[in-house]
Amino acid sequence: MTAASGSALRAPRLELVGGGVERRGRWLLRRVDLVIEPSMLTSVVGPNGAGKSTLLRLLSGTWRLTEGQVLLGGFDLAALPRRQAARRVAYVPQSVRPAFEFTVREFVTLGRYPHESRLFGTRSADRGWIDRCLDDTDVLALADRRVTTLSGGELQRVLMARCLATEAEVLLLDEPTSNLDLAHGLDLLGLARRLVDEGRSVVLVLHDLNAAARFADRVAVLDGGGLVAEGPPSEVLAPELVRHVFRVEAVALPGAASTVFDFEPLARSDLPGSAGRTGPAPGMRRRAPASG
Amino acid sequence: MTIALGVRRVGFWWYMTAGAALLVTFAAVGLYRGSVPLDPADVMAVLARRLLPGEHGPVDPRVDTIVWSLRAPRVVLAAMVGGCLALAGAQMQGLFRNPLASPGIVGTSTGAAVGAVFALTFGLAGAFLLAAPLLAVGGALLSLLIVTRIATRDGYTPVTTLLLAGVALNALLGAVNSWLIARSWEQYEAARQIAYWMMGGVTDRDWRHVGMLLPGLVVGCVVAAWFARDLDLLLEGEEVAASLGVDIERTKRAVLWSAAILTGSAVAVSGVVGFVGLVVPHLVRLLLGPVHRRLLPAAFLTGAWFVVGADLLARTLAAPREVHLGVVTAFVGAPFFLYLLMRHEKEVAVSR
Repeated sequence: MTAASGSALRAPRLELVGGGVERRGRWLLRRVDLVIEPSMLTSVVGPNGAGKSTLLRLLSGTWRLTEGQVLLGGFDLAALPRRQAARRVAYVPQSVRPAFEFTVREFVTLGRYPHESRLFGTRSADRGWIDRCLDDTDVLALADRRVTTLSGGELQRVLMARCLATEAEVLLLDEPTSNLDLAHGLDLLGLARRLVDEGRSVVLVLHDLNAAARFADRVAVLDGGGLVAEGPPSEVLAPELVRHVFRVEAVALPGAASTVFDFEPLARSDLPGSAGRTGPAPGMRRRAPASG
Repeated sequence: MTIALGVRRVGFWWYMTAGAALLVTFAAVGLYRGSVPLDPADVMAVLARRLLPGEHGPVDPRVDTIVWSLRAPRVVLAAMVGGCLALAGAQMQGLFRNPLASPGIVGTSTGAAVGAVFALTFGLAGAFLLAAPLLAVGGALLSLLIVTRIATRDGYTPVTTLLLAGVALNALLGAVNSWLIARSWEQYEAARQIAYWMMGGVTDRDWRHVGMLLPGLVVGCVVAAWFARDLDLLLEGEEVAASLGVDIERTKRAVLWSAAILTGSAVAVSGVVGFVGLVVPHLVRLLLGPVHRRLLPAAFLTGAWFVVGADLLARTLAAPREVHLGVVTAFVGAPFFLYLLMRHEKEVAVSR
């Protein structure tokens, strides 16, 4: 029995309405309207500095918006007590490298925080749940290992287990595959796919457009702090858009089940500035720093 | 920065049982050993008369005074001071995600020292017993207030800014201290008291000092326990902790004030006892892991037996003269810390 199948999961709709963040006089993200459809795998793509990580921080409620709102199931996320929000939306920041020697079980149990009582801490029901989360992500065998000794692939699975431990129906993962080799990357995307099929919403920041096209139900394309396009990958990921946003020549390879691109650098004459590139969203002073 | 050592963990309850046994043993020896040789049976008789209800046989009043009024408060105070410092150190190491943080890293122990030295220099301590401890606690809290005020912007207190502000304040307060001491050089008695106090110790303390430390200890421990789980999550970084529902700023404030109260109260009654708050939590984390629900009580207990044991050494090493407690803890603590570092040099991993 998986951690999900016990009850019929119904992920809430997560929505960013007119969202914008200003930090130190610079807009990292502005005027973004985006709906994370329930029980779908949404992939967020975009060049470095497009505001992908910022988007996830906003959707998770860990950063406050300068303007706009995040709505979870129609309610203002910021008005929700933090612990309650954490039970519904889980977030894993980019390249988390644990520094302290928790065991895998202790580490995953951190995810029970929003459910724990201050006086009694972790109860046996919590421990049973942790076992199921470890099992569901195939890391039960690692339960007593120190998190500091895990490989990249193992760590990502453990982080997924911690997300499941919160019982959140919406999982936001920032570049979960960036440190993984091909096999582990596909493995993780498969796991994400399965969690979606069980009813959760999963949002992944990905750099691999082909993986996004293959695994995601929806793709959101960010550039220069604005949302450029959103929709099913077959509609959104067109060579034209890829050229404008990522500044590479994209050739769709024939015969594949989903869109598969072959990428080439742009010819000199097509470099930004010379072509009719869709510029950054209006109101952007300059591009945000390269933080993902 | 992390020092990841491949030490096998030990069971929590085993560790606590062993610690309690050590504490009881050191305390018993502490009551029995001293400049006046006593019969263990007499010591037992005094304890029975003082602690157990009902009728008891007569006890030599001289022995009663030595055991109950001189040695017992000293042992109890040593245990409390050690516990407070180790607990505060464990909290600071968790908050700063740095195993090299000490209880006074944000300037609280130097602040407490300035408060006490001020009281001693201006003769307030002679006029009013509570003057030095109260000013010491006040100095600790005031230091923290200054540091957090400096480091907070828009309701957010980054720990790195806090750390840097603490370093700066520590330097400044150290200078104030030196100045106060230099000022008092002419007054022999005040200078002697200050030097004595700066070296740290629990010599000549009585039950009143225990009473002075108790409120700070209770408040500090309760707050520490209440926020123990939040510290676990903070170890994984503020972003992760916030996403899991931790109120980061509230946790920081609570932990900082709790540690400041513990440190200030301990420094107020015993002066500056070094290395306990740094080495003990570090060692306990190696043995028990970083989960604060186990780490904090274990650090408290370890600090308690460590300081009671160190005080025992302090008064028996060069008997009948006494070595200062702070000297003993540093002499035991510092080499042990270096030993840990050197032995596991190859495994030392520096990250973040």
